[in-house]
Amino acid sequence: MLFWKRQFPLFIAFVMGVVFIFQYYIPHPYSEGMLTEVSEWLRIISGFAIILGIASLSHLHYKKIQRKEPGWGYSYVVYLSMIITVVVGLWSGGKEEGSGLGWIYNYTLVPLQGTMFSILAFFVASAAYRAFRAKTKEATVLLIAGTIVMFGRVPLGEYLVSNIGGLAEWILNVPNTAARRAILIGISLGVIATSLKIIFGIERGYLGGKE
Amino acid sequence: MEGFLGAWVAVGLTLFIYSFLYKDNPFFKLAEHLYVGVSMGYTIVRIYYDTMVKSLYQPMVSEGKWWLVIAALLGLLMLTRFIPKITWLSRWSFAFVVGFGSGVVIPRIISSYILQQVQGTLLPLASVGEGGFRFGLAQLNTVLILVGVVTVLFYFFFSIEHRGAIRGAARVGIYFLMISFGAGFGYTVMARMSLLIGRIDDLLLYSSSDYGYATIVLSILIILGLLYWERSSRKAVKKVDMP
Amino acid sequence: MRSFAEKMLAIDRRWIFGLIALATLLPLLYPVGLPIRPSPQVKNVYEYIEGLPEGSVFLLSMDFDPASKPELYPMAVSILRHAFKKNLRMMGMTLWVTGTGMAEKVISDVAQEMGKQRGTDYVFLGFTPGSSAVILNMGQDLLATFPKDHYGMPTSELPVLKGVRSLRDVQYAVSLAAGSPGIETWYVYGKDKYKFELGGGCTAVAAPGIYPLLQTGQINGLIGGLRGAAEYETLLERKGKATSGMDAQSATHFMIILLILACNLFYFVTRRKDTRRR
Repeated sequence: MLFWKRQFPLFIAFVMGVVFIFQYYIPHPYSEGMLTEVSEWLRIISGFAIILGIASLSHLHYKKIQRKEPGWGYSYVVYLSMIITVVVGLWSGGKEEGSGLGWIYNYTLVPLQGTMFSILAFFVASAAYRAFRAKTKEATVLLIAGTIVMFGRVPLGEYLVSNIGGLAEWILNVPNTAARRAILIGISLGVIATSLKIIFGIERGYLGGKE
Repeated sequence: MEGFLGAWVAVGLTLFIYSFLYKDNPFFKLAEHLYVGVSMGYTIVRIYYDTMVKSLYQPMVSEGKWWLVIAALLGLLMLTRFIPKITWLSRWSFAFVVGFGSGVVIPRIISSYILQQVQGTLLPLASVGEGGFRFGLAQLNTVLILVGVVTVLFYFFFSIEHRGAIRGAARVGIYFLMISFGAGFGYTVMARMSLLIGRIDDLLLYSSSDYGYATIVLSILIILGLLYWERSSRKAVKKVDMP
Repeated sequence: MRSFAEKMLAIDRRWIFGLIALATLLPLLYPVGLPIRPSPQVKNVYEYIEGLPEGSVFLLSMDFDPASKPELYPMAVSILRHAFKKNLRMMGMTLWVTGTGMAEKVISDVAQEMGKQRGTDYVFLGFTPGSSAVILNMGQDLLATFPKDHYGMPTSELPVLKGVRSLRDVQYAVSLAAGSPGIETWYVYGKDKYKFELGGGCTAVAAPGIYPLLQTGQINGLIGGLRGAAEYETLLERKGKATSGMDAQSATHFMIILLILACNLFYFVTRRKDTRRR
């Protein structure tokens, strides 16, 4: 029994990992066909994974109501709005054009999500005022680079100082590219290392549980 | 009519969220939880139609792709995560997905991010042509990129102690990183301000007579609501403090 | 002076919120309309689309959700107008579930404006989950990935998709991305193997991180943020929401720069007094 719970999943990960590393280098029709089929399966499984995420969130709010945690009444708002959206969505046949689902999408989801993230503009300004101080040489360099880019990427800045736009572009094209490239190479090496650890069963966090 | 009602709902919800700038309050909490619920509901509808119906049911029934039931079974196994007695079955699904993802990413990342990025760094540092040896701005930029990539990689290499020449290289790398983060900060400010400009633009649109001055009316109502809530909260606090 | 500097450093943040709100609102109410200079990376995307022959297959993946609408929606509008003007065969899709409604709206609205027919001139494939698996699947067999379009029409019967079997048959793809999955995903799982040309549009937050791909030519161009969208509108000679937002962008940037300068001034004043006391 322990084999099916512990070793078998590691075996699946190993086989899938090794097969699809080598698949990249084998252009044979059977190899390509296998990639086509498995990637189709992955799309379907991803749909179930999203359901898992939604079920998890629903469970969280259910627990909040059950334990009467502070703000538990708002969890009813979550359930009610979810159910109404699903009912309207099914009634609309999944279509947005001129339907109830489209109305809910355009007049509730879009403004809510848009505003949630736009509020960060105020906090960025407040944080910049409180924390962005030239305390060290490195912080000063960061401050100057940030100011040149903010100044140079708006029409007013380019109108007041004619070459500032070119300088801002140079900062992005040269020192920024260099640093980001090094970070990208470092992250890629890390991803390869982690993927190999997963394939060889050294990294098992994705399995979850104690057994 | 739908657009008119929709404008009032959109403006109301937008201002509910912005009321957080004053302080956390019931209007904001209501909008926040509404957002979570509507997102979840919309996602369920999309997954049902775009995955279950279009990618699973219809290919199985209309095109005879009966073997897709294996994918459906693997998906269902994932949901056993919620049943404590058989939660171990979900590991098979996760192993399948994670194994595929790990295998598929390795050769592609080597090709895209390592080989091609290194190739893009190792460009000619000077050119020799009809006019002779040439070292202009383009060549200077190439040198700077090479120096930047190498020194930043030195900075992130923590397996050896940063002493002597390595320390010097790492210090240069830090300055490249600071310039990059400064550029990142500038662009982050640009992004956040753009989002705010977009929302304010919509609020201005809905403040016109075509939409019944929705923004103006609702702004006044919400400010009055916040004042009433503030007064009620203070009265409740005073009652608790009094012996 | 010191007590004033200390007071200013400890100011209630709601005053700062008010300043930002004013800096955004006033230019929108009283626009100036300063010229916008297109950058080389935006010109590259524009010129590539401009150079595509009529009937070329163009894929636009709108990989963003309502949170990034102000930056990426104007980009989508401009690119779609350009593509329809060039009579390209348009394929629209999204890898982000909550972006489906917006992607559907933008392609339908612009198609209607340009007099284009669904199924004949363009197709909206919709959303399917899986991110990298979707791109891999499209690279192998596009019609199997989307057997039906967003409206339930069989993709194998649509005239606009005649001869299109996989991503290898796409002449140009642009990903308008708010994060991951996005431009990098399209490159790593798409262009690297299936060899179509790829351009990108992204939020300003993501733009600095995409420059390494731009410099190596892995993507042929990049439209970064609202500024990039405004540059594209300038090239297309058709001003829209992006251009009208640039005055407010200028004002808010200057406000942030002033705030940073002010805070550093007050900080140095308080620090000098502390040093003198010691």
